[in-house]
Amino acid sequence: MTFAVATLVVSVAVLLAAGRLPKGAQNWVLPIAVAAILVAMWDAACVLTGTEVFPSPLDTVLAFGELIESQRLWGDATASLFRVTWGFLLATGVGVPLGLVVGWSTRTFRALNPIIQGLRPISPIAWIPIAILWFGIGDGAGVFLIFLSSFFPITVGTMAAVRNISLVHQRSAMNFGVQGLELFRRVVLPAALPQIITSLRIALGVAWLVIVAAEMVGMETGLGYLINDARNAGSRYDLVVATMILIGLIGILLDFLIRRLERFDEVRWGYSQR
Amino acid sequence: MSVPSRSGDPKVVFEGVSKVFDKKGEPLQVLQDVDLTVAEGEFVCLLGPSGCGKSTLLNIAGGFERPTDGRVSIDGEEVTGPNPKRVFVFQEYGIFPWASVWDNVVLGVRDRSKEDRHRIVDEVIELVGLKGFERAYPMELSGGMKQRVEVARALAVSPDVIYMDEPFGALDSLTRLTLRSELLRIWNERNPTILFVTHDVDEAMQLAERVVVFSARPGRIADIVEVDMPHPRDIGSPEYGRVKNRLYELLGVTHMI
Ligand SMILES: Nc1ncnc2c1ncn2[C@@H]1O[C@H](COP(=O)(O)OP(=O)(O)O)[C@@H](O)[C@H]1O
Ligand SMILES: [Mg+2]
Repeated sequence: MTFAVATLVVSVAVLLAAGRLPKGAQNWVLPIAVAAILVAMWDAACVLTGTEVFPSPLDTVLAFGELIESQRLWGDATASLFRVTWGFLLATGVGVPLGLVVGWSTRTFRALNPIIQGLRPISPIAWIPIAILWFGIGDGAGVFLIFLSSFFPITVGTMAAVRNISLVHQRSAMNFGVQGLELFRRVVLPAALPQIITSLRIALGVAWLVIVAAEMVGMETGLGYLINDARNAGSRYDLVVATMILIGLIGILLDFLIRRLERFDEVRWGYSQR
Repeated sequence: MSVPSRSGDPKVVFEGVSKVFDKKGEPLQVLQDVDLTVAEGEFVCLLGPSGCGKSTLLNIAGGFERPTDGRVSIDGEEVTGPNPKRVFVFQEYGIFPWASVWDNVVLGVRDRSKEDRHRIVDEVIELVGLKGFERAYPMELSGGMKQRVEVARALAVSPDVIYMDEPFGALDSLTRLTLRSELLRIWNERNPTILFVTHDVDEAMQLAERVVVFSARPGRIADIVEVDMPHPRDIGSPEYGRVKNRLYELLGVTHMI
C-alpha cells in the first residue's frame, strides 16, 4: 500500500512538472507517468478490496515470469502470430490485386461490389463453426479466419483507393500512352498505395483482435486459448491478466512494424498532404 | 467566322465545335460553334471568364473529351484521343507525387534507349532550371518547381503542340512572372504550337501572339485580338494599354477602378 501511494504521489508530481521538459521527453514521460498512476490505483484497489482472485500488479509480473519459465508463452504466442501472419499475407496477396482490378474496371465493380459489401458485415467469429468444419481444429482454421477478417478491409480499402485516383493523373497516363499492365504498375498501384497501406494497417489490427477471440472459442493453442485455459485450470487470473497485457504489447508491436511502410518515399505524399 | 492563321501553316483547326454536358438530366451547353485556326508554332491564349468552357475546349483538343458537334483536327487529322506528341499541362498538378522528378520527366520517353532517355531528360531538366533536383519528390518542391517538372515532362517528348490549362494559376505572382518569361524563352528555343488557357488579362497580354476572347456561357468566341508587340514587351507602352483596354471591353468589365 505504501508502494502504491508513493508511486501515485511521484507520478502526479512528474505530470505536474512535465511542462518544463522538452517536447521529445514529454512524449515519453507523460504516458509513463499516467501508466504508473493506473498501476498504482490498480494495486491500491487490490489492497483495499482484499480480493483473493484478482491479481495485483506484482502477482501479474510473477505470473509473467511463470509463463516464460514454463515455455508455454513462447509456443502460444508463436501459434497466434503464425496464424495472423499467414492469414494476413494470403489476404494481402488476394485482396490487393482483386481490389485493384475491381476498383479500376467499372463493370467488375458493378458485378462484385454488392457481393463484397454483403459478405463484409458478417463477423469473422460467426465463421468459426464453418472454419472448423472445413479445416478442423488447428492452424488451418485460424489462418482461414484471419484471411477472412483481413480480406474484406484490404479489398474494400484497395477498391476505394483506386476509385479515388485523380482524373488529372489518369489523364496524364493516357496522354503519355501508358496502358494495360504498365498502367497498373506505373499509375494505379502507386496512386492507390498510401491508402492500401492504411487498409493493411486496419486489417492487421482487426486480425489481431479476431485471432484471440477465435482461439478462445475454437482452438487448442494460441494466446486466446491460454487465457481460457488459465481461467479453467483453477481460476488463474494472474495468468489471464499477464496474457492480456502481452496481447496488447504484441498488438502495439505489429502496428509499429506495419507503420514503417508509410515512410517510403513513394508513399509519403499520401500522408503528409491534405 | 473562320479566322485566317497569322503565320505558318494551319496546325490546330477547330470547326464548329459545340459541347453539351448532361448536368443531372438537364442539358448544359458549354461551347457553341467555335471556329478557330491556330498556326504552326503560334502562341495563342484562350481568355474568358471562369466557367465559360475554356478547359472543356482544351480537353476536346487534347482528346480527353469528344465534342457534341463539330471537330478538331491537327495537321488535317481529326483528334479522337490523346496523343503523346501533344502534351497537356494541367491546371492542378498532373505530375505523379509517388515518383521522383527524374522518373516523372522520363514518362513520355520511357521506351527509348537508355542513352536517349538520359540525354533527353537531362536536357529538359536543365532547360527548366531543375538541375540538381532529379532525385527529389514533388512534395519536397515548391509549387513553381512542380510546374517546372510538369513543363519538363511535356518538353521531353518534343511535342508539336502543348496545351496549358491555367498552368500558373496556383502560384504567387512573382513566380508566375518568372515562369511566364521562361515559357517564352522555351517557346522561342523549340517553337511548339502553344494553346494557353487563362482568365488573367495580363497573362494573356504578356504571352500571346493572339488572344482568343470567349464570352460567358455558352462559350463563344467574342473576338480575336492580335498582340503585335515583340518580346520583351513594354507593359507601360501605349500600345499595350490599348490592347488591354480592348480585352477588358470584350470581357465586359471595367478597367478603371
Ligand atoms: N464533365 C462535366 N460534366 C458536366 N458539366 C461539366 C463537365 N465539365 C465541365 N462542366 C461544366 O462546364 C462549364 C465549363 O467548364 P470549364 O470548361 O471547366 O470552364 P473554364 O475552364 O472556362 O472555367 C462549367 O459550368 C462546368 O461546371
Ligand atoms: Mg478551367
